[in-house]
Amino acid sequence: MALAALPHPPGTRRDDPRRDLPSRDAGARELLRVAGERGRPLVLARERALALPGPLAEILPEGLQRGTVVTVDGVPGSGTATLGLQLAAAATAAGEWAAAVDPHGTLGGLAAHQQGVALERLAVIRDVSAQRWPTVVAALLEGMTLVLTAVPVHARHGDARRLAARARERGAVLVAMGDWPAEAALRLYAERSEWTGLGAGHGLLSDRATDVRVERRGTATRVRLAS
Amino acid sequence: METAERMGMVWCPDWPVLARRRAEPTLVGVPVAVLAHGVIAAASAEARAEDVRPGIRRREAEARCSGLVLVDGDPPAEARAFEAVARAVEAFTPRVELDRPGRLGFPTRGPSRYFGGDDALGAAVAAAVAELGIPEVRVGIADGALAAWLAARRAAPGAAFVVAPGESPAFLAPWPVTVLGDHTLADLLGRLGLRTLGAFAELPAPAVLARFATPGAVAHHRAQGRDDTPLDLAVPPPDLVETCEFDPPVARVDAAAFAAKTLADRLLSQLADRGLACTRVMVEAETEHGERLARCWRHEGALTPATLAERVRWQLEAWLLAGDGKPVDDDLADADMVTGGLTRLWLRPEGVVPADGRQLGFWGGDQAAADRAARALARVQGMLGHEAVVTPVIQGGRTPAERVRWVPWGDVLEPARDPSAAWPGSLPDPAPARVFEPPVPAELLDATGTPVRVSGRGECGAPPATLRSAELPNGGGPVVGWAGPWTHDVRWWDADSRRRGAHWQVVLDGGVACLVVLESGRAGLEALYD
Repeated sequence: MALAALPHPPGTRRDDPRRDLPSRDAGARELLRVAGERGRPLVLARERALALPGPLAEILPEGLQRGTVVTVDGVPGSGTATLGLQLAAAATAAGEWAAAVDPHGTLGGLAAHQQGVALERLAVIRDVSAQRWPTVVAALLEGMTLVLTAVPVHARHGDARRLAARARERGAVLVAMGDWPAEAALRLYAERSEWTGLGAGHGLLSDRATDVRVERRGTATRVRLAS
Repeated sequence: METAERMGMVWCPDWPVLARRRAEPTLVGVPVAVLAHGVIAAASAEARAEDVRPGIRRREAEARCSGLVLVDGDPPAEARAFEAVARAVEAFTPRVELDRPGRLGFPTRGPSRYFGGDDALGAAVAAAVAELGIPEVRVGIADGALAAWLAARRAAPGAAFVVAPGESPAFLAPWPVTVLGDHTLADLLGRLGLRTLGAFAELPAPAVLARFATPGAVAHHRAQGRDDTPLDLAVPPPDLVETCEFDPPVARVDAAAFAAKTLADRLLSQLADRGLACTRVMVEAETEHGERLARCWRHEGALTPATLAERVRWQLEAWLLAGDGKPVDDDLADADMVTGGLTRLWLRPEGVVPADGRQLGFWGGDQAAADRAARALARVQGMLGHEAVVTPVIQGGRTPAERVRWVPWGDVLEPARDPSAAWPGSLPDPAPARVFEPPVPAELLDATGTPVRVSGRGECGAPPATLRSAELPNGGGPVVGWAGPWTHDVRWWDADSRRRGAHWQVVLDGGVACLVVLESGRAGLEALYD
């Protein structure tokens, strides 16, 4: 009895197959590999990601990880709204549903369509006061795969953390537009946009190039997105 | 062969037109047509005399009849107005089943014995409805709902047409198969040479079932003059009543209709769990003063959550709004109107049939995800109101704001203006991602600091040099690129909705692109290419 309670010396654990099986036994190794394959989680992390369409695919080839928070920030006019819509397009392109919390009612529906969002699977929520914002976003995270939301000016750290936890639990992507007071897996900053096609009194707006700073945990890169 | 239940049918032809005329007496005597989805849904007798008939397109109708007044259909208002007819028929029999605004049915076995036969009952019902100011009403009595409706079509205005018991199959035989209401089936039968109900009814039932499956078998059943719905009617289990209580009582239609939507969802999902679909539902309500209201709605096919919720909403509008569309006021209410808010609402299935299943979409239709999303959105609507959750629909128009219609979640996604039509002068792509509606005040200044003006001929005095607005970073700045002015003068024939002005695309120093509008001398920031 006393012996059984003692820990095994290092390298002699009974459940270690390398100790129990001779290393030359290729057949047994094959069996183990198949067993490991069977025991593998059915949905791998990369299968839970939403593939991104268009130019964003180049800078985020791994796609949008479900259950995480992505922030998009920048001054007005630098391309933040377009970035947000491109992320929403990733969700609707996969047949999933997206919601956009738009307290001021300024989201451009036509631009959403042109960025590839399937409009029949996009719901826009208007007239959300700052007090109700956490409740509304939490309710949306229950049912939507992607929730795009403008962050109220004085959003509380506690609310933000709770929403991030809800997104993780439900496997939804929370895209926070603005100053997100908690942690995020991915932060995108639209630094500035450059337009071509429009001259002094002639031409039309045609193409834009946006400088985007991409911050993941611990790393930051700067890329130029053409659209 | 089992005989169908003897049914009476009250039909007000072109009810949308009649309902509209009751609301707007100026439309009486002029050719009127009601539009739905861009085609004519109903036309007045004057318009029909000019060959304007349901199903033709708007433009063709206008070409056929000059001076035609076109109005948009408003099913809730039509249902509301039809409530008066339902009340008049209710004086004869309590079992009134609304089919759709303009058509209702009732079983006649009891009342015709009381009133002295089908002919007497039909004439009395027609007279009672005509007395409401609807001389066009027609009443038909026959075995089964389809025959009764066709008998009503055969009747003269303000009169009744009775098909004797057992005569329904012979009465139905000469009618074309299109009256079954299933266009695909009618088209196919026509191509097979079966143009009348009689020819279709002669086919052996097993062969029809084998070739056309359940919908075809039901249609065959109806063509034979047996009752239209139930091939095998299952009696609903008694516990399937969905109730909700309102505390405090609700007098607003949208609040009650919102609760009704949840009830409809719950009821139909409960029925679906038992493998049943609902064809007839009883909507019942109780008010704070103890009044009990009840009305039965039926549907040719099976009710879906959306169609059921729509019918309940119509019924609630009819109860809660007086005829003129104003909420019920204690002083104005007559004996028939409710005198207070609703405290309880019931939905009870009256007729159920076995559900023959539903094929899920093959591509990209994840029903579970859609259901989950619908629940979450319904919850948010409960918190913020029906109008707060919207979905964009692309429609025709010139400016980015005009080209999107925001439809409240749960309503029909349908553009108000044809997006494929030509819209000369519409603003070029790309579309701006932020649209301000109405435009936020801005200042568009030239090099000398005076506001930029556009002459009546669309000429601009000096090029814009500075744009200022509170929505822009740092309040705006110098203009480095611009295009415009693009002048517009839309709906110049209508003083109220006329809009006249000029647009510019402007890029500021720093790469901010925006759309500026100048209307009646005031500049505004209409959109930001964010």
